[in-house]
Amino acid sequence: MSADEAPARGWTPSPRELERRSARARQTRRRVAAASVATVAVVGGLAAVVLLSPGWPRVRESFFDGFHARESLPAIVDGFWINVKMFLIAEPLILVLGLAIALVRSSRSPWLVPLRGIGVVYTDVVRGVPTLLLVFLFAFGMPALDLQGIPSSSFFWATVALVVSYSAYVAEVFRAGIDSVHPSQWLSSQALALSRGQTLRHVVVPQAVRRVVPPLLNDFVSLQKDTALVASVSIFDALFTARDYANYNFNYTPYVVVACFFVAMTVPLARLCDWLAARIARRERAGVL
Amino acid sequence: MTAAAPVIEARNVRKTYGDRVVLDDVALAVHAGDVVCLIGASGSGKSTLLRCLDLLEDIDDGVIELNGREVSDPLVDPREVRRSIGMVFQAYNLFPHLSVLDNCTLAPRKVHGRSRAEAEAGARELLVRFGLGDRVDQHPDRLSGGQQQRVALVRALCTGPRLLLLDEITAALDPELVGEVLDIVRDLARAGTTMVLATHEMVFARDVATRVCFLDGGRILESGPPEQVLVTPEQPRTREFLRRVLPR
Repeated sequence: MSADEAPARGWTPSPRELERRSARARQTRRRVAAASVATVAVVGGLAAVVLLSPGWPRVRESFFDGFHARESLPAIVDGFWINVKMFLIAEPLILVLGLAIALVRSSRSPWLVPLRGIGVVYTDVVRGVPTLLLVFLFAFGMPALDLQGIPSSSFFWATVALVVSYSAYVAEVFRAGIDSVHPSQWLSSQALALSRGQTLRHVVVPQAVRRVVPPLLNDFVSLQKDTALVASVSIFDALFTARDYANYNFNYTPYVVVACFFVAMTVPLARLCDWLAARIARRERAGVL
Repeated sequence: MTAAAPVIEARNVRKTYGDRVVLDDVALAVHAGDVVCLIGASGSGKSTLLRCLDLLEDIDDGVIELNGREVSDPLVDPREVRRSIGMVFQAYNLFPHLSVLDNCTLAPRKVHGRSRAEAEAGARELLVRFGLGDRVDQHPDRLSGGQQQRVALVRALCTGPRLLLLDEITAALDPELVGEVLDIVRDLARAGTTMVLATHEMVFARDVATRVCFLDGGRILESGPPEQVLVTPEQPRTREFLRRVLPR
C-alpha cells in the first residue's frame, strides 16, 4: 500500500507532507531527465564511434549481412539444437554428480576416506584444466581406448567432458552451501538424535540447496555457452556450422547469428538468477525483523 | 537420596577448552521428578554442563551415567543416549526450511520410527496444548521469539524424553515474551517432568526448582533446595551473585 492511496480514516496529509511529496516528485523528474540524457549520450557516442569508423562499411558487409543471415539460419538452427540437447543432458548429470562429490567431501565416515581423497583430487585437477582441453582429451582420447559397450561418438564424449568439468565447480558450490549452514543446526539435529546422514538429508542439504540456487544458475548460464566448445572437435553444433558457412562463403554474419541464439538462451536464465537472488535477499531481510 | 538410580548423574566431570577449565570436578545427580536449576554468571559453566550431559561435548575427565549406565564411554553411541533426552537451546535452533509441524515430527519419524500419522497426531496435540494450534503449518520465521521457543520445547517433548535439558531458553526473548515460555516449563515441572535447566530467572527458579545449583568458575559452589540457596546462601560468592541479579 502506498502512502498516495486513499487516506486512512480521519487522516489527511499535512501541508508539510504534501510539500515533501511534490519535492520528491520534482527530484524524480530531474533524475529521469539526467538518466535519459546520459543514456542517449553514451549510446549515441558508442554508435557514432562504430558507425563513423573508416572500416564500418566493410564490417557491416561481412558481419551484418541480411542475405547471409537468412541463408545460414536453417543450418544454424539444426546445429543449435545439438547445443541445447547437450545442455539438457549435461545439466541434471552435473547436479547429481556435483552434489554427490560435495557430500562425499563433507562426510566423516572412515569408510569414505578413499572416496574423499578422490573427491579432493578430482575437484582440484578438473578445475585446473581448461574446459576446452578436457573436451579435446575426452573426445579424441576416450574413443581411442576402444572400450566395449561405451559409445565412441564425439558427441557422447564431449558431453562427458562438460559434465566432468562443471561437476567439479558445482561440487564446490554445493560444499560452500553445506558449510554455510549454521553449526547450531547440526547441534540441534544431534540433540534430536539424528544421525549425520539424516542431518544432511533432512536439515543441512535442503537449506544449503536453497542458498546456492543463484550461484548454480550462474554456472548453468556459463555451461550453456560452453557447449559451443564442442565445435573444436568437429561436432556440427551452432558454432561449427557457422564456421563452416563462413569459411565457404567468406562472410562472418553466421557468427553474429549464433551469438544471438546464445544470448536468447542465456538471458532468460540470467534474469531468473537475478529474480531468485532478490527473492532470497528479501526473505533473509524479513527473517531479521 | 532415593534407592533408584538417578536419571542422570555426573561425577568428577572436568571439561577444558585449551587452557581454560570450564568444568572442574562437577558432581550432579538428577532423580526422576527433579527440577534442577543451574544458576551462575555467564561463563560459569552452566551451558557447558548441559552440553556435556547430552554428550554434545566430550568431557576431559569424570563419569556421566544415564540410569546407572556409564555413557561417557567412547564405545557408547551418543545417539542412543540422546534418544531419551530432550534439549532446548537459547537460540531456539528451529529448522527454518521446515514447517512447525515438520520441525516437531522429524525426530519422532526418523529416529523413533513412528509413522507420519502417529507423529503428527502427537505433535499437534502438544502444539495445541501450548497455544500453537494455529501455527502448525507456518514456518518458524513467521513466529515471534516466544512462539519459536515454545515450538522448540514441543519439538524436544515430541520424542517423549525422560529428561529435559533447557539451556537459558528465555535469555534471547523480549521480557514480555519470557512469561509465555516459563509458564509452559512451570506446567511441565508440575506434571513431574525431570528437568535440568540453566537460567537467569531467579524468581522462576525459586518457584519450580526442587534443587538449585550455583556454579562459579566451573564448580558447583553451593547446591540445595531453592529456599536455602536463593534465600539464605552459605557461600559469600552466592550471596554476592544473588545481590547483583535479584530485584531489590
